[in-house]
Amino acid sequence: MLDTVVGDSMRVLVIEDDAEMASFIQKVLSEAGHDVDTAIDGERGLEMARSVDFDALVVDRMLPEKDGLTLLKEYREAGGTAPALFLSALGDVQNRVQGLKAGADDYLSKPFAPSELAARVEALGRRQMGEQQVTSLKAGDLEMNLLTRKVTRAGQKIDLQPREFRLLEYLMRHAGQVVTRTMLLEKVWDYNFDPQTNVIDVHISRLRAKIDKEFDEPLLHTVRGAGYRLQG
Amino acid sequence: MKIGLPTFLRTTTFKLALLYSAMFAAFSAVLMVYLYYSTVYYIRAEAERRLDLEFEQLGNAYFTGGMERLSQSVLERMTRTGSTYFYYLEDSSGGKIAGHFQLMPVPLTEASSRTVYFDFNQPLPDGSFVVRSAAGKIVRLRDNGGALLVAFDAAQQTAIVRRIQRAIFIAAPIGIVLSLLGGVLISRGAARRADELARTAEAVMGGELGRRVPVRGSGDEFDRLGQRINAMLDQIEKLVDATRHTGNAIAHDLRSPLSRLRNRLEIALSQPLSQEDASATLNETVEEVDRVLTTFNAILRLARLEAGAEGERVRMDVSELAEELAELFDPACEEAGLAFRSQIARHLTILGDRDLIGQALSNLLDNAVKYTPAGGTISFTVTRGPDGTIDVVVVDSGPGVPADQRKRVVQRFQRMDSARTQPGSGLGLSLVDSVAEMHGGQLILQDAGGPEGQPGLKAVLRLPRA
Repeated sequence: MLDTVVGDSMRVLVIEDDAEMASFIQKVLSEAGHDVDTAIDGERGLEMARSVDFDALVVDRMLPEKDGLTLLKEYREAGGTAPALFLSALGDVQNRVQGLKAGADDYLSKPFAPSELAARVEALGRRQMGEQQVTSLKAGDLEMNLLTRKVTRAGQKIDLQPREFRLLEYLMRHAGQVVTRTMLLEKVWDYNFDPQTNVIDVHISRLRAKIDKEFDEPLLHTVRGAGYRLQG
Repeated sequence: MKIGLPTFLRTTTFKLALLYSAMFAAFSAVLMVYLYYSTVYYIRAEAERRLDLEFEQLGNAYFTGGMERLSQSVLERMTRTGSTYFYYLEDSSGGKIAGHFQLMPVPLTEASSRTVYFDFNQPLPDGSFVVRSAAGKIVRLRDNGGALLVAFDAAQQTAIVRRIQRAIFIAAPIGIVLSLLGGVLISRGAARRADELARTAEAVMGGELGRRVPVRGSGDEFDRLGQRINAMLDQIEKLVDATRHTGNAIAHDLRSPLSRLRNRLEIALSQPLSQEDASATLNETVEEVDRVLTTFNAILRLARLEAGAEGERVRMDVSELAEELAELFDPACEEAGLAFRSQIARHLTILGDRDLIGQALSNLLDNAVKYTPAGGTISFTVTRGPDGTIDVVVVDSGPGVPADQRKRVVQRFQRMDSARTQPGSGLGLSLVDSVAEMHGGQLILQDAGGPEGQPGLKAVLRLPRA
């Protein structure tokens, strides 16, 4: 279903009460190469999250014993630092904002495509690294200087529009990793709505024309049914 | 139903009215009693004064000339013309010495410094009697044992007192009855208004969701309560409608893809499939399910939106958002062989939800891209509209929407039949309409004025400026 993911293996805790959904998530994340533990209610989930040092948490919004919001709040208050992805069937804006306020790092509403889940969990793991204060980014022979805002490939200067720059920056911070169209809309455009028309694809193809066209080896790949990946 | 007092007698207003009438009665009673006693006291004091004056003179006669002089003086006074006094003098054995009466008209035990009122029969010259009332006082003669009564005709005074008494006895019940009646009238008015509320509530419970509390426009508390309740009922009706529509929509739009899905799986089950065919079928199935989920999400979102459960309104720059979207859609238009022109006035702000407004603008642009054939033009404009509004205008050169169908296309799940083949949930314009309504604006669809057969659509999203 997915292209082979070249990310590092992570230890992920999935807190989800619906057994079928839990095993689906487990399967998706295991296929992506992660070690997955599951907890079926909020109390147990919080206990496990506190006792084991997980690389990422996937937390359902509605949970028996302790709902996802409370769980996350308590986890963060107790000093827990593992990045968390909040899952919810309630996909509206307020819920997303509430989840992020409670200490989630990302938010995904059900139903979701397996590739979307895998990509977002992957991005969570890279998060800490990706958001470090760096002054330059590198992917293969592609280089980006964040201070001078200069981009070069194999030493050759590439001119980018501001939006293209931000798009490429995000892709480079997540190099080697699948990023979905929704992730790009949310993180690069800061849109929490769906513009429907294939707007992202067009922007990607324009970016691709600038960074890949004159070079033998393409860096920006389309991952079928999932999104895009910039080769690291 | 309890049998008993009429409804209004059990109302709070009636109880209050009752309390007020009780207080009114008590107050009146105090006033009347005071009036009565002060009048009576004055009359008595006056009588006393008159009697004391007479006693003083007669006393002088007694002290200077004894019994003899006294009786003489009494007799003399009895014959005085114009005198209103009555006298009666008796000796120690109770025998009459002089006076108007046959006998002492008041028992001697009454003799004191107190004025007594009594009636007596006055003989008339023709032998008949007339009842007179008198105020008198008896004084015991010192060193003698006799007694002297002096009285005067008190008909007038007695009449005044009687009249006051009568006034009180007649006025008090009338006052109480009137105040009770007033209370009943007031509380019946209130009870009727409360009944109207109750009847409306019952009608609504009975399924008549359109019923409203009658409002009289007097602006009193019942009107204000009625208006609040009506507003609440409006909201409830809207919610119920939304739920009903959602139900219908789900039935309408999800049934056919779900049956298609079922049929496909049924066919797949009924015959042995090669690995290749199996995965093709499964892929199609997944796609179909995704479409169903997309539609379902759209329905849910719309329902939540219309129920007012979504969206947070803050001051936002529409121009900025439009610029971004123009930048986002421009390449996509170019890709689709469409010319894209945008003209966006700067710094126009509204109070709105950025995500919802973004979705609405995207839907308008997406529609234009979808329905305009290659070689066409899309223009995207943001300008100041009339009366402090902002107009977001998307004009395409597509087939347009005939005037008689414009209302239908913004209704949920209504797409023009000719558009059925295009992908989409049919909710795009409905969502724009809902978003417009929620922001106090409107969606206006017009002809773009293109050539016959290809008039194009001009969609104006008009929002109040903030």
